[in-house]
Amino acid sequence: MAVVTVDQLSKRYEGSNELAVKDVVFTVDDGEFMVLLGPSGCGKSSVLRMIAGLEPITAGTVSIDGRVMNPVPAKDRDIAMVFQSYALYPHMDVYTNLAFGLRRRGVAREEIDRRVRGVAEKLGLTPFLGRKPHALSGGQRQRVALGRAIVRDPKVFLFDEPLSNLDAALRVTTRNELIKQQHELGTTTIYVTHDQVEAMTMGDRICIMNRGEVIQIGRPLEVYRRPADTFVARFLGNPPMNLLSGRLEGAGERPRLRFAEVAFELSGWSPAVLRSHLGREVTVGVRPEDLWEGPPPGLQSGMVRLPVHVITVEPLGAETLLLLLIGGGDEELIARVGRDTALKNGDLASIALDPSAVHLFDPATSKAITRAD
Amino acid sequence: MTLWIAHLRRTPLLLFIVLYTIATGGPFVWVASMSVRTTPEIFANPYALPVHLHWNKFMDAWTTSNYGTYFWNSTIVVVTAVAAVTVIGAMAAHCLARYRFRGRRTVRFLILSGLVVPPQLLILSLFQILLDYRLYNSLTGLIIVYVATQLAMTVYILEGFFAQIPQDLFDAARMDGYSDFEIFWRITLPIGLAAIFTTVTLNFIILWNEFLYAVVLLTDDTKRTLPLGIMHFMGGHQLDVGMIATGLMIAILPVILLYAFFSETMIKGMTAGAVR
Repeated sequence: MAVVTVDQLSKRYEGSNELAVKDVVFTVDDGEFMVLLGPSGCGKSSVLRMIAGLEPITAGTVSIDGRVMNPVPAKDRDIAMVFQSYALYPHMDVYTNLAFGLRRRGVAREEIDRRVRGVAEKLGLTPFLGRKPHALSGGQRQRVALGRAIVRDPKVFLFDEPLSNLDAALRVTTRNELIKQQHELGTTTIYVTHDQVEAMTMGDRICIMNRGEVIQIGRPLEVYRRPADTFVARFLGNPPMNLLSGRLEGAGERPRLRFAEVAFELSGWSPAVLRSHLGREVTVGVRPEDLWEGPPPGLQSGMVRLPVHVITVEPLGAETLLLLLIGGGDEELIARVGRDTALKNGDLASIALDPSAVHLFDPATSKAITRAD
Repeated sequence: MTLWIAHLRRTPLLLFIVLYTIATGGPFVWVASMSVRTTPEIFANPYALPVHLHWNKFMDAWTTSNYGTYFWNSTIVVVTAVAAVTVIGAMAAHCLARYRFRGRRTVRFLILSGLVVPPQLLILSLFQILLDYRLYNSLTGLIIVYVATQLAMTVYILEGFFAQIPQDLFDAARMDGYSDFEIFWRITLPIGLAAIFTTVTLNFIILWNEFLYAVVLLTDDTKRTLPLGIMHFMGGHQLDVGMIATGLMIAILPVILLYAFFSETMIKGMTAGAVR
């Protein structure tokens, strides 16, 4: 059992006045696959390295199964890490790379051999045991790095962007392999990435970070559907969520949202919440996939049509991206529509929007306005 | 026509290379030739190639002229100094390349400043220090001086190479449970072998031919190193040109052999630090 708890974790690097990591708090449950997601420089690797014991902690604590790890050296934390560069020892063959950590811990030779060959068999590395890393492909090196972590049988796995050096096709197969291994082993895993596809497909939960802070933690779909702020809203999703200026107006029971020269009632929102923002500017978020050229069956009623000017049509094969200008204004909108669109560059058209799919954010704080009280 | 022009463009470069080779290699070939000729033969025709090869001259030089003693002294001093400076320099380079500690820049500056200080400035101070510590006129004292004077170059070359070893390797070794020294021994040294070999070769060549410190810090004939021995021999046998040439060949041969076998590795090691 391994529960990892990070409490008010902070990090200031030497020579810097700014905190690279600020009061990070999260818990990874036993056997859970937690993904730390964020742009480059957001502090996610620093958090991982502090958990690993490779980086001194400025403030806060890291605990594993209730035991505070701050004073414990990296080698005694029972953690195995897979690095972005794989960190394979170039002067050792694959067998020795896999066995290196076990030898240091005084494991018996026969046991080392049993474990190494077992892991090699599991990962398809048996034919390569005598080879040095330079004679392996990128995917094979990645498997050796993973094997080196698995053979240690640790309480926690840490992954620091292990797929970023692989090509797109290999990334997909290796991703699935990693998920499969983690499920089979059931080891608590913390995985750092800047790739939202990896985060959405691999994590039980994702922890989104930006500028050293945790912005939101939740299940992938939950975070995707209910982003906590405009940063999360734009970071998840490709193309990113459209953010436009709007205003809540109207007296009476049901305030209306006005933007893009249309006004409509929002469904699924607490009237009290809407009334509390009445008369104020809001940021309206609309995902590209919630805009329709022609609404699908079952969603005909209640759809709002937005007048648009088509700037660019980008056929991607399976779908089409439309870059649009709303009405006569200069706000741009990206819509993701079906592969068979009749629209062309320069067309004046209307795009259907499902009002229940609209997100609202406070422009002053960028935080999401929650639907319920 | 194009081929002619290409040949024509290369001619000045080829001419330069030929002239340079003659200028630098010529004296060596001449000394090598004289080393197997007798002195009368040399005086009769200084530049002729040997007709009979008098290999016995090497044995004579070794046994009758104390060359054996000088060679042995040089071997002890140079091998010990090179081993010591390699170990100390590698450890220092590893620390400077890998660790961030208070005073690191000062330590680095102090060590590398040895590269710019000429030996002539140091010789008086070293003379006095060795006298004070009763190490003057001793092989031990000379070894210590050689280690100190070659440390800067060794650290300079090795630090550049070690700094290129990815930090992830050291982090992985730390997580595998290895101590700092074990990481140095098992990771840095094996990976840095090419650069270490370069410094070993360079230090050997420089110290084998080193004269200034040896002539000031050693006075006993039984403690002389080869460069000193040759100078002494030349002083006593000014007219025995053949024997002088033989003695020079004995002195040069180990260095030539070392360079001949390991020059490629040395060049790889020197340029490895420059390429990312």
